[in-house]
Amino acid sequence: MIEFRDVGKRFADGTVGLEALSMTAREGEITVLVGPSGCGKTTSLRTVNRMVEPTSGAVYLDGRDVSRGDPADLRRGIGYVIQQAGLFPHRRVIDNVATVPVLKGLSRREARARAAEVLERVGLDGALAQRWPAQLSGGQQQRVGVARALAGDAPVLLMDEPFSAVDPVVRVELQDELLRLQADLGKTILFVTHDIDEAIRLGDRVAVLRVGGRLAQFAPPDELLAAPVDDFVSGFVGRDRGYRRLGFVPATALRLVDLPTRADANGDSPDSTDRAVPGEWTVLLDGSERPAAWLGPDGARHELGSVYVTDGDDAAADAAGTLRGALDAALSSPAGRGVAVDGAGRYRGGVDTDAVLALLDRSSPS
Amino acid sequence: MRAFGYDLDDLVVAHVLLALIPVILGLLIALPLGWWAHRSAGARRVLVPLSGALYTVPSLALIVFIPVILGTPILSPVNVGLTLTIYTVALLVRSVAEALDAVPENVTTAALAVGYRPSGLFFGVQLPLAVPVLTAGLRVASVSAFSLVTVGALVGIQSLGTLMTDGFQQDYTAMVVTGIVGSVLLAFLFDALWLALGRTLTPWSRARTGV
Repeated sequence: MIEFRDVGKRFADGTVGLEALSMTAREGEITVLVGPSGCGKTTSLRTVNRMVEPTSGAVYLDGRDVSRGDPADLRRGIGYVIQQAGLFPHRRVIDNVATVPVLKGLSRREARARAAEVLERVGLDGALAQRWPAQLSGGQQQRVGVARALAGDAPVLLMDEPFSAVDPVVRVELQDELLRLQADLGKTILFVTHDIDEAIRLGDRVAVLRVGGRLAQFAPPDELLAAPVDDFVSGFVGRDRGYRRLGFVPATALRLVDLPTRADANGDSPDSTDRAVPGEWTVLLDGSERPAAWLGPDGARHELGSVYVTDGDDAAADAAGTLRGALDAALSSPAGRGVAVDGAGRYRGGVDTDAVLALLDRSSPS
Repeated sequence: MRAFGYDLDDLVVAHVLLALIPVILGLLIALPLGWWAHRSAGARRVLVPLSGALYTVPSLALIVFIPVILGTPILSPVNVGLTLTIYTVALLVRSVAEALDAVPENVTTAALAVGYRPSGLFFGVQLPLAVPVLTAGLRVASVSAFSLVTVGALVGIQSLGTLMTDGFQQDYTAMVVTGIVGSVLLAFLFDALWLALGRTLTPWSRARTGV
């Protein structure tokens, strides 16, 4: 648990980084600090491991005032992931990851064994272990950065815009990876970002900060989307928040409908007119029951559109089992009905737009 | 090997020691000074111009004045060694500061954040990463020392420069040329040595494109 009690920071030049921040990041949760630049989010993160010393107030880590004791010892007990990874260019990947175990006094051999375990855990190929950081892609470097932070086995992780320098596709991969790791490890994570979508995707609770480190709202993401406290927060949360909130509304009550299906025998045959059901859209299934395409009433193959995943077996699969996923499947399908699959991608049924809208009607916040 | 009435091996050894020891000493002195200049803008404003100014003092003047100031014997090799050490420091303070400046800030921030103490940060992260820029500075200082060492011959300190001064007095061209070629070769040799050392210490710097 990380507790900020009236933490203030006034810099030497007189600018106020933080006024008096009070908030608590709960044990085992991802707490996201989000806000415009200059809102003091990085400053507040850095007061936790004393890269910044507050000028008033104090930070407590599991009830202990962090300002007591040696800062280097404190930092070895807190994982830290920095923007653009900040890997040591002169050390091979494995030794970058082994840094904290070595600092904590493990022998190089033990530290490397530990590092190899963690590299595997973050999904990095063992062959990369002997590379230099400059030989990795941005996404790989950031994974190594996460591995380095995990290798010390710290229960607390500070992440300072760790995914902001990679392209959007890789960013989503890294976010998924983090959620997967977190499901396993249950760390107490304080995560800084300027990207509200990232905040909503990752945070168990999200703190929206105004300039000067004033807490505008601190709430779980669905609450933030449903009920922003003021214009600043709603402006920051952005457009479509009603739609985005659907990503947090479970669609367990949604009844799937039956759709005509048939085996997709020869998908590449252009001449399948004879197999079309007049006036009907049919789902073509491959050998393992996975939907491959729509067969239109015109006899032509059509794109499936986005499919609705009913059970979030993979916790990271966005919008799995939520109204947002169901609505998106219904709206993006050429057939007017969406296709639902289970966690393994097997056909489950159809999503009827009216059924989704009826559920929506019942679930909308007063 | 004897030639021109001298033992050439002795001259070469004297030449190398008289140049090499000041280069190493100068580096050891310049490291903390350069670190200070890197850390503090105030220190830099004084140290960098001051070391630049030191380099403009003529070498012969230093060699002659050091015994006056320190009371060392006028024929002591220490006078030459000290002069060359001063030049090395003058050249390297700026190099060290700039080499440390060149270490990316997010790397030093990351090092502090994972729990390095200041000494570990310097020797474990900053210094290794400063090697490429530092090597460049060291090569200049080394070539400079290997050529300036010959000036000592004017006040009777033996080196390959002795062949130049004696050869000149005896109007013996081969002797002068031997001195010149020998000192140039030694300067080249040690330049190559620093280059090789720098490359050996930085295998990572050549790995950039080798994916």
